[in-house]
Amino acid sequence: MTKSTETVAVHLYGRFRQLAPDKRTDADSVVRLTAEEGDTIARILERLGISAAETSNIFLNGELSALTRKVNSGDRLGIFPSDMALLYKWYFEKKD
Amino acid sequence: MSKILRLNMSNQTAKFEDVPEKYKFLGGRGLTSSMTCDEVPPDCHPLGPNAKIFIAPGIVSGASGPSSGRLSVGGKSPLTGGIKEANAGGLASQKIAKLAIKAIALEGQAPAGKFFTVVINKDGVKFLPADDLVGKGMHEVDKVLWQKFPNKPAIIGIGPAGELRLTNAGVSVNDMENGPGRYAGRGGLGAVLGAMGLKAIVIDDKGGPGVTIADPETFKKEAKKLAEALLSHAVTSQGLPTYGTAILVNVMNEAGGLPTRNFTAGRFEGAAKVSGEMINEMVKLRGGAGRVGHACHPGCVMKCSNIYPRPDGTAHTSCLEYESAWSLGPNCGIDDMDVVAELVRICNDVGVDTIEAGVAIGVAMDGGLLSFGDGPGAIKLLSEIGKGTPLGRIIGSGAAFTAQAFGVTRVPVVKNQAMPAYDPRAVKGIGVTYATTTQGADHTAGYTIAPEILGVGGKQDPLAPTKGELSRAFQATTAFIDSTGYCLFIVFAILDVPTGYEGMVGSVNAMQGSNWTADDVIKVGLEIMKRERQFNEAAGFTNKDDRLPEFMRVEKLPPHNVVFDVPDEELDLVNKF
Repeated sequence: MTKSTETVAVHLYGRFRQLAPDKRTDADSVVRLTAEEGDTIARILERLGISAAETSNIFLNGELSALTRKVNSGDRLGIFPSDMALLYKWYFEKKD
Repeated sequence: MSKILRLNMSNQTAKFEDVPEKYKFLGGRGLTSSMTCDEVPPDCHPLGPNAKIFIAPGIVSGASGPSSGRLSVGGKSPLTGGIKEANAGGLASQKIAKLAIKAIALEGQAPAGKFFTVVINKDGVKFLPADDLVGKGMHEVDKVLWQKFPNKPAIIGIGPAGELRLTNAGVSVNDMENGPGRYAGRGGLGAVLGAMGLKAIVIDDKGGPGVTIADPETFKKEAKKLAEALLSHAVTSQGLPTYGTAILVNVMNEAGGLPTRNFTAGRFEGAAKVSGEMINEMVKLRGGAGRVGHACHPGCVMKCSNIYPRPDGTAHTSCLEYESAWSLGPNCGIDDMDVVAELVRICNDVGVDTIEAGVAIGVAMDGGLLSFGDGPGAIKLLSEIGKGTPLGRIIGSGAAFTAQAFGVTRVPVVKNQAMPAYDPRAVKGIGVTYATTTQGADHTAGYTIAPEILGVGGKQDPLAPTKGELSRAFQATTAFIDSTGYCLFIVFAILDVPTGYEGMVGSVNAMQGSNWTADDVIKVGLEIMKRERQFNEAAGFTNKDDRLPEFMRVEKLPPHNVVFDVPDEELDLVNKF
């Protein structure tokens, strides 16, 4: 069994929950992926079949992040769809 | 020409006054703050005979602009001891404006124990004894008044908390379904109305003179630009109407900044159970009276409100906003949406601000009065307010008072007002706003236009302003929008769509005959901030009050494990202008 530190935990919201084993709205809908060499947020989206245009705010380990940001084993990614874009983004520095 | 309506509660008289030239281009917060500065002694007792309350629609309220029915209620806050503007949607703003009333000024105090209902319509003003309403919750007050008076009037009122003069008492405004849930909630202004003996104001604009628009053709054009921006932007046209503001529960939880169990963590394991996604789901599942995409006032196109249904489909409460869902949910360790809905309903009924109430309960939990997560216990505790018991009086007096009563030192307040749903250790920029705004810890004081957009029609320097300069620009823009009558949430669109920003400023100019540019927006906003700050200084505030509580500099907030470390000097920069 893969240890959780060897995977990337992708937390999905809204319509993206359909991609996770637990699709319930009141649960954590998480897909666990094995991290690959050179993974970025953009690559993770590709592997999940999510188009970047369909997303709004993406958090890597709780930090608002750009698509170019590198993703490693043990990381937590949170992906919000385009209809959940509400964020006072001027208070959040986008990391890349 | 609009007038100021002055109501004297000591002798129950009303008088219409001409608008002084200095108030010509003011509305909403700009007007209530200016009148407070001009008429309220900064060192007066906020519940005493020299206190006043000013109620003002915004500059464009009552005209056909989108999402423009916001109301400002201002005065000296019994909670912070400083100047306060509380802002609400609902029916009142537009109806007051359409009676050609620029502001209602309330002064004096009724004889002890006496309460009045003031009725305002096209024929004038009447003071009626409110014996039939005293002690009643706002749900019943609204119901009785719609039965008594024709034409589905606006109702501004206070619940039992206001009658008891509790420092967390808010001012209720009814919505289109005559629910009491639109609150000018923060800062305890409901207690001031209670001290004046004012239970309710009924406003019927039928047959009234309507609003005056200086340039109607241009107004239509400019308002259309704003409406188009709102209807095209993902936040204002999809996110807000579908999920409401409570979508932020999941977003802030993911960001690790959702204050949990009295600000001891930034992530809550039960967050998904009390989020906007869940509200949307429950509305779909339970049907009946449940709604998302609900407008809090006529003409709002963003419709971020909701009517949350009980399991049987009947309406439980309106509305479950982010701040309310958070303060009575994750902040209390509660993950049951139906419990949260009941807590919100109680707040709306007894007449208290949900943010302050939730943080007060969280503090009480931290102090051992009840356990974190104890939903039934929280409901029982909040219900004490309406009974007027000593425990109810403690909780109804807000977070800091409750902390003192229970020996709690983890007190998340600034200027005695409870912090909203963003932990400043994880979101430092908002911490700067919490610390430095004249309003006390306030999340709506510091919306902004991104530095790049500040250059629209103006000459701002977008090169790396300090956090202090940024927060100042944010607060100034917000103060301006708070004066227009437009809902603050238009910023989500006009921040990204320059024509929307132009439409906002252009419609304000066309309404009142001003010639403001983007630079003037900041100037006008800064002037409001400056006046408010002068009031606070005269009331005894110094820069030592522009600080976050000690524990936030010391206690690390998981999951980021950060403290608030913005230097005091940078905080002081915000108000150096």
